[in-house]
Amino acid sequence: MYKSILITKGKSGWGGPLTITPTEKCHKILCVTGGGIHPVAQKIAEMTGGEAVDGFSTGAPDDEVMVAVVDCGGTARCGVYPKKGIFTVNLTPVGKSGPLANFITEDIYVSDVKESCIQFADESAINANPAPTKKSPSDTAKTKAQARAELAAMNNGRKKNIVTRLGIGVGSVVNKFYQAGRETIEMVMKNILPFMAFVSMILGIISASGIGNVIAHTLSPLASTLPGMIGISIVCALPFISPVLGPGAVIAQVVGSLLGVEIGLGHIPPQYALPALFAINAQVGADFVPVGLSLGEAEPETIELGVPAVLYSRLITGPAAVIIAYLFSMGLYS
Amino acid sequence: MEIIAALANGFIELFKAGAATFVAWVTGIIPLVIVLMTAVSSVIKIIGEDRVYSLAQTATKYTLTRYTIVPILAVIFLVNPMCYTFGRFVEEKYKPAFYDAAVSFVHPVTGLFPHANGGELFVYMGIAAGINQLGLPLGELAIRYFAVGIIVILMRGIVTEKIYAMMKK
Repeated sequence: MYKSILITKGKSGWGGPLTITPTEKCHKILCVTGGGIHPVAQKIAEMTGGEAVDGFSTGAPDDEVMVAVVDCGGTARCGVYPKKGIFTVNLTPVGKSGPLANFITEDIYVSDVKESCIQFADESAINANPAPTKKSPSDTAKTKAQARAELAAMNNGRKKNIVTRLGIGVGSVVNKFYQAGRETIEMVMKNILPFMAFVSMILGIISASGIGNVIAHTLSPLASTLPGMIGISIVCALPFISPVLGPGAVIAQVVGSLLGVEIGLGHIPPQYALPALFAINAQVGADFVPVGLSLGEAEPETIELGVPAVLYSRLITGPAAVIIAYLFSMGLYS
Repeated sequence: MEIIAALANGFIELFKAGAATFVAWVTGIIPLVIVLMTAVSSVIKIIGEDRVYSLAQTATKYTLTRYTIVPILAVIFLVNPMCYTFGRFVEEKYKPAFYDAAVSFVHPVTGLFPHANGGELFVYMGIAAGINQLGLPLGELAIRYFAVGIIVILMRGIVTEKIYAMMKK
């Protein structure tokens, strides 16, 4: 008997959830993971009662393939099967990418899938399933042992040699590097460059218009003495100001850039960079306390009291951090 | 006509300084950040966040490690903002203090591990740009920022823990 399953994306995955229903004709799980049957493909086969085939040694006609299991790093395979209209399960955490990205949609593709991401579909989905047909017992859903034996037989027939295994290992590491590069570039494009654009525009206007001199005469003396910096940190840590200064650390970043300019011009001694980093940032995360606590699965009562606890604590720890940093800045750049 | 031309020139001049800053940042900061971020996040992907869970769980028991090792691992491996989810390993009464420690580390970490908070690099980078301009090496500032960060989060954790306990009574 065939069963429907639900496949959800893994922790860093994309797409899905997919509900997959095998039929008489279309029940093959095509495993294209560099040879052999991957455990995820095997689990899908066990749960649906379908048949896992090794795409590298046997292959299957497209109209018999119920779902393709791939381990694509974001170039070809992840797009090929969606383009054919075949459900695609990617084992690596890759979203819409590669030359066929347009075909990768959430209703046909799911990524970063682990064995734990697969479950039976709910009752209604199973009922919607075509009625089980009169099949010989050997064709009913396989037990785990049967499926294991079958898998072992299949893998024995095509034992992975050392070169294949090495290839798969190297491939997965290279994929991780590639994915890291992709994420880094995305971060640079989405966050770092826009910030640079906005701050360099402001800094440019400040220095060209003469406001820079005003800042040099007010902020610089304040940031080049210990009491001045303690003062800055206390203002930043005031419980009614700190949550306003917090979001995206924009204020801290702009002030940091302004101080950087003054340090570069020699108005502030370089060893004051260290305490300054703490002085301008006593408010860090003060706007985010409730969200951060709920990410840590805190109870509502904890959040209610936790918010003021953190805010009050900053009044003590903000200036204290400046003093600690000041002590540690001794001998820096001298 | 000449007046208009002079005005236009003045207008453009206003932005030339900004353009120079922008180019200096793009060429001076971005290449290193890109390579460093790619390298560190590759290593972290290869190690895998699952593997640090058990270590983090054990480390929540003691005050000293709860506000040092746990938030450091959380920030480096899960990065801002998902690092706060490590709070679930921490006892309920310590959660606000743990959050305070973790959030206070998302900037000190950026000197050595910019991937952990790529969206908010300029708290450190802004000041570091000035040091760079003076021709001084950044390594020492980055290390000291990281080290002082650890001391500060430990202190924040302990102080916030006490304040929360007092408020709860």
